[in-house]
Amino acid sequence: MTPLTMLARPEEDARLRPLPWRRMAWVTWRQHRFALGGVTVLLGAFAVYLWLTGLQLHHAYATACHPVSSLACAMNFTGRYGITGIFVSVALQAVPPLIGAFAGAPVLARELETGTFRYAWTQAFGRWRWAVAKLVLLAVAVAAAAEAFSLLFSWYNQPFFAAGYVIPLSTRVFDLHGIAFAAWTLAAFAIGVLAGMLIRRVVPAIAATLAVYAGLALATTVYLREHYMAPLITSRLNLPGSAWVVSQWYAKDGRFAFPSRGSQLVSALSRYCPGNFDGSPAQCLSRHGYTQWSAYQPGSRFWPFQWIEGGWLLALSVLLIAAAVWLVRRRAA
Amino acid sequence: MTIDKGDKLPAGGAGGSPAGAGEGTVPRRPASPIEFRLDAASGVPTYLQLVQQVEHALRLGYLKPGDQLPKVRDVVASLAINPNTVLKAYRDLEAKGLAAGRPGQGTFVQAGLSQVTLPELAGLRKSLLGWLAAADEAGLDENGMVALFTSALRDFHERRSGPRTRGGAAGDGTEGVA
Amino acid sequence: MSMSMNVIEASGLGKRYGGTWALRECSLAIPAGHVAALVGPNGAGKTTLLNLAVGLAAPSAGGVTVLGGLPAGSPEALDGIAFVAQDTPVYRNLSVADMLHLTRSLNRRFDQSYARARLNELGIPLKRKAGRLSGGQQAQLALTLALARRPRLLVLDEPVAMLDPVARHDFMATVLAAMVDDGVSVVLSSHVLAELERVADYLILLSRGRVQMAGEVDDLLAGHRILTGPAAEAGNFAERPVVHASRAEAQAHLLIRAAADDPVPPGWEAHPVSLEELVLAYLREPGAAALPGPAREPSKVTR
Repeated sequence: MTPLTMLARPEEDARLRPLPWRRMAWVTWRQHRFALGGVTVLLGAFAVYLWLTGLQLHHAYATACHPVSSLACAMNFTGRYGITGIFVSVALQAVPPLIGAFAGAPVLARELETGTFRYAWTQAFGRWRWAVAKLVLLAVAVAAAAEAFSLLFSWYNQPFFAAGYVIPLSTRVFDLHGIAFAAWTLAAFAIGVLAGMLIRRVVPAIAATLAVYAGLALATTVYLREHYMAPLITSRLNLPGSAWVVSQWYAKDGRFAFPSRGSQLVSALSRYCPGNFDGSPAQCLSRHGYTQWSAYQPGSRFWPFQWIEGGWLLALSVLLIAAAVWLVRRRAA
Repeated sequence: MTIDKGDKLPAGGAGGSPAGAGEGTVPRRPASPIEFRLDAASGVPTYLQLVQQVEHALRLGYLKPGDQLPKVRDVVASLAINPNTVLKAYRDLEAKGLAAGRPGQGTFVQAGLSQVTLPELAGLRKSLLGWLAAADEAGLDENGMVALFTSALRDFHERRSGPRTRGGAAGDGTEGVA
Repeated sequence: MSMSMNVIEASGLGKRYGGTWALRECSLAIPAGHVAALVGPNGAGKTTLLNLAVGLAAPSAGGVTVLGGLPAGSPEALDGIAFVAQDTPVYRNLSVADMLHLTRSLNRRFDQSYARARLNELGIPLKRKAGRLSGGQQAQLALTLALARRPRLLVLDEPVAMLDPVARHDFMATVLAAMVDDGVSVVLSSHVLAELERVADYLILLSRGRVQMAGEVDDLLAGHRILTGPAAEAGNFAERPVVHASRAEAQAHLLIRAAADDPVPPGWEAHPVSLEELVLAYLREPGAAALPGPAREPSKVTR
């Protein structure tokens, strides 16, 4: 029983050269047009808003805020646009996790959920190279878009900085400008990718991405960021306007007395400084032997902090994406 | 001996008129005069059905020596059967001396079946009718006659050509199967 | 490339998911140039075996090589094997033309003109989204993409499960014609026993994760026969391996493993067995196992 005569096959290299990486450019674009388009729409909509409002802001500042401390400035600028500025910066906090969840999580999760990985990972290109190419391309695209956006935000927010309404190190805006916005977006994307690979279902992966990001962002703003460098400690009462006060407390006779917030302060004030008094509570209490100490980060540390935060977020992103690629390679079918 | 599957034709079978071998001046590759069919429910192995159909076509004159048997590719594409099965059938016909392969061209009919002369046929038919009458008298119904004939035919084959892996023919398709 | 190559070779292959072994002690040598049918009940391990062969899963025990000794899942193996999974996954939001472009981008060889001609023949429009095609059209699309890669081995996991009879026929006709045109070998898993005899010439029977039977169909059929005779004597066949017995009061049918020239006991009739009967009998007797017969020695292919 001889099998069918086989046609002669063209001789192929015993060791095949890998297919060129650039082939994945079209593949990534075509498959993730929707996600990339969504990112563009989201950022684009905010960008248009920032552009239009920003023009108004700059105009108002230019006309009313010379000098900054004038009543005209308070009425026509700070009073008018201040609240909007706060809302905008709060709303923009949601953008990196949304991008990360909706652009990052489905990349691998959808392949696994719909079964298309059985097609994609049996093509000649090879599964881990496919994953690397796709993830790197998407990560770069997402980070670049985010960085461009944060430049626009810096321009938008510039009058608020100049008027002293908010400082660059402030928790509210720190991760929206500089390089932090792009870094957080990249990290959210990486979290999404790995969540998608671990959970294998799109919707739960999106939820998990949002949850993990929220936890990470909260931990950073509440605790981690304050400690990138050891805060400066001073008992001066006139801190520079750009300083970011991390904590304050009162000490007496060289020992800690009570923090500068809370019921102990209230009872001390009612005891020593009832009713009207000259100056601030700190000045009043200092007349009674209490020294106010402040731990703060000076404004000059803005860029060092940006590099530190951007740096560890980048390292984390690389680690998470590498982990996802390793899982892909491990033939977890 | 290798049997060549011949050229590829566009999908759509090789059926053509019996005169397709043509003596026209157009230098066209002739299609086969016959086309195979498959009776999936008959219980007869596929390759054997092909062999039987060729033999039947030879007997009835659809195929003459020199005609081309359907190309393997066409048979496979129209009947969705394994190409090795077609090759096996063609090899079987070769072994019987009925066909021969020409490399690069296909498989062609080589010789006709040993013809049984008309008077012989008439005589055989008469004795068969006699046997049928006797069987009827003995009480066999049609199915019983067919069963008896089939098992006797199988024994005959086995005795003549050694035990075969697959049973003998269930008879020609045209001879009124019950 | 050696003609006597084995397209899939497994030795002691096993795969475990959690605590359950989906496949155990699987040893096979499927020769090239055949249509090998992988048959067995649900959960027997067919999909697992195919996944291991195309590199979608890694073995828990033993090993598997393809195309004459290449490690499963290696770049050379991926290049030479085209796989169509169950439910023929395609990207639902991409158009048919996009799927062609995609497959061309991800592979070394792609016969664009063949693919277009074939889709045209089937009446599958290039502009339509793959998700909007019917089940049969999706299967044909997946098959066209696989064949356009000009693989040496085509692996199909229950390819015709969702297809109506006409689509099924067209699908298999395409696959078999590719065998003739390009010398592609085919390994497919199937539920449909009735069509096996027409299509398959190599059979692997899996049951509960183990290989019950493997070999060329002709050899397997030649090695079995059905003996019909008095039920009272049915117990006398201690020395012959009886695979399956069905008996009534007076009559019994025994499916035994026997060579063609084994003598038939007096008073008994011997019949050849059909492929469908053989497979059903073995499936009903999970304990029975025919020695798997590799078609040839595992080859050391020099390229």
